[in-house]
Amino acid sequence: MGFFHHVWTIAHKDLRSELRTKEALNASLAFSMVILVLFSFAFDPSAEQIKEFSGGLLWMVYSFAGALALNRSFAREVHNDCLDALIAAPIPPAALFLGKMFANFALLFAVELVSLPVFGLFYGVHWTDQIAWLLLVLFLGTWALSVIGTMFSALTINLRLRELMLPTLVYPMMIPALMACMTLTSDLLQGMPVTGENYTWIRLLVIFDVIFTALSIVFVDTVLVG
Amino acid sequence: MRDKILFSLAAIAAVILTWNIHTIFAAVPDELNQGPIFRIIYFHVPSNILALSGFGIGMMCSIVYLFTKNLKYDAIAEGVTEVSLVFATIGLITGSIWGRIIWGVWWAWDVRLTSFLVCWLIFAGYLMLRRAIEEPIQRARLSAVVSVFGTVDAYIVWKSIEWYRNQHPGPVLSIRNGGGMAPGMEAPLYWNLLALFCLSIILVMVRMRQESFAREIDSLRREAHSF
Amino acid sequence: MENRNVTFMIYGLVAAWLIVLGYVVLLALRERKLRKELDRVRHMVEGGKQS
Repeated sequence: MGFFHHVWTIAHKDLRSELRTKEALNASLAFSMVILVLFSFAFDPSAEQIKEFSGGLLWMVYSFAGALALNRSFAREVHNDCLDALIAAPIPPAALFLGKMFANFALLFAVELVSLPVFGLFYGVHWTDQIAWLLLVLFLGTWALSVIGTMFSALTINLRLRELMLPTLVYPMMIPALMACMTLTSDLLQGMPVTGENYTWIRLLVIFDVIFTALSIVFVDTVLVG
Repeated sequence: MRDKILFSLAAIAAVILTWNIHTIFAAVPDELNQGPIFRIIYFHVPSNILALSGFGIGMMCSIVYLFTKNLKYDAIAEGVTEVSLVFATIGLITGSIWGRIIWGVWWAWDVRLTSFLVCWLIFAGYLMLRRAIEEPIQRARLSAVVSVFGTVDAYIVWKSIEWYRNQHPGPVLSIRNGGGMAPGMEAPLYWNLLALFCLSIILVMVRMRQESFAREIDSLRREAHSF
Repeated sequence: MENRNVTFMIYGLVAAWLIVLGYVVLLALRERKLRKELDRVRHMVEGGKQS
């Protein structure tokens, strides 16, 4: 139980420090609103067209806004040698990773839950029809984004071009998960339940999450320490 | 010794390719539905096979590096991945040209093409990451982790294809139970694969020697600065 | 149609070989740059040792 206590401590620390300043939270929320507005100017879609790309649009908003929050995940520890202190602390690196990952997950999920009704409002989409499945897809997709984002945030902390390298590495890696989320979300926002072929997408998401969480836990030590 | 290997590989590759040119253009008949354009398959498919296996080999070398901490394996991983990226580019471009004739479009978001593009993006990111890190050991360590993540991701993308409809031709090689090609037409493909494989080994060896030069430069610089 | 078919096939094969050639040229340029740098650094080290 010590392990989960460490995970909780790290997650709690990150969330508390974030909630005090609300920098990343506000930035992500503002950014997601801006993208939603911009897209409406870019496409000016009809109701029919919206049905086709609603899922895609939503997940693009989430990934872009998410990148803002994820970048700060390990970057905020660089000042005042906080990162060295964390690495030197007697906690397993996996606990450090999972703590940060859960904190990021919570932040991203909050941003998504706020953006969803706004999206529904701007584009006239009913998102409450399949709310349970939708929340599951949001959960799995956000988990994928948090895992990959936190891992690569750890990887890129010491690089000069950190802000450039993180999206360059994260977005291609996220493509299978994003593909699944977008397809599922488009169908769910149209009120169709998850059936047949869509089950394979859910399965893909679960497999993706499990594999990359495991890989991250294994490699986070190598990335942070060497 | 090393140069002898390089030259003999080059000779083998040249001979096979020249012989194949004759076979591909003169001996093999036009495919029924596709016409002459189908001959692109003799470069498209071997390039793709080499690219994917190269990424896999790069991942294995990265893992070996992480266990042994021997920078030689990092050099192999880098060389193999870079050459595989070149072959992936060839695969994408020849595929696109082929698609222009057969499907009428330069690009289609068919899942196999998309997954290849994703692989390309992931490993281009790997090479970008390597350029961004100066210190050799940190570079080797971080890029090894990215290589592992990238290859696993590439495999997941590949698998997700098989669950989804696609317009790309299914497996036609007899080894994958495709059975779509007449035996006479399939052989030149494997010969081309062998020739391109020899070529890729030459390129990797040249690249690795460059990596050892770079390491020597790096260590000499440190020695010079220590005076 | 047939002609276009053949033309595109030639485009495809030419493109493939151009890419390989381009990469070989890139490798050659890099090799030259590395050799020059290596010689320069070797002289620098030898100069340092002598003084």
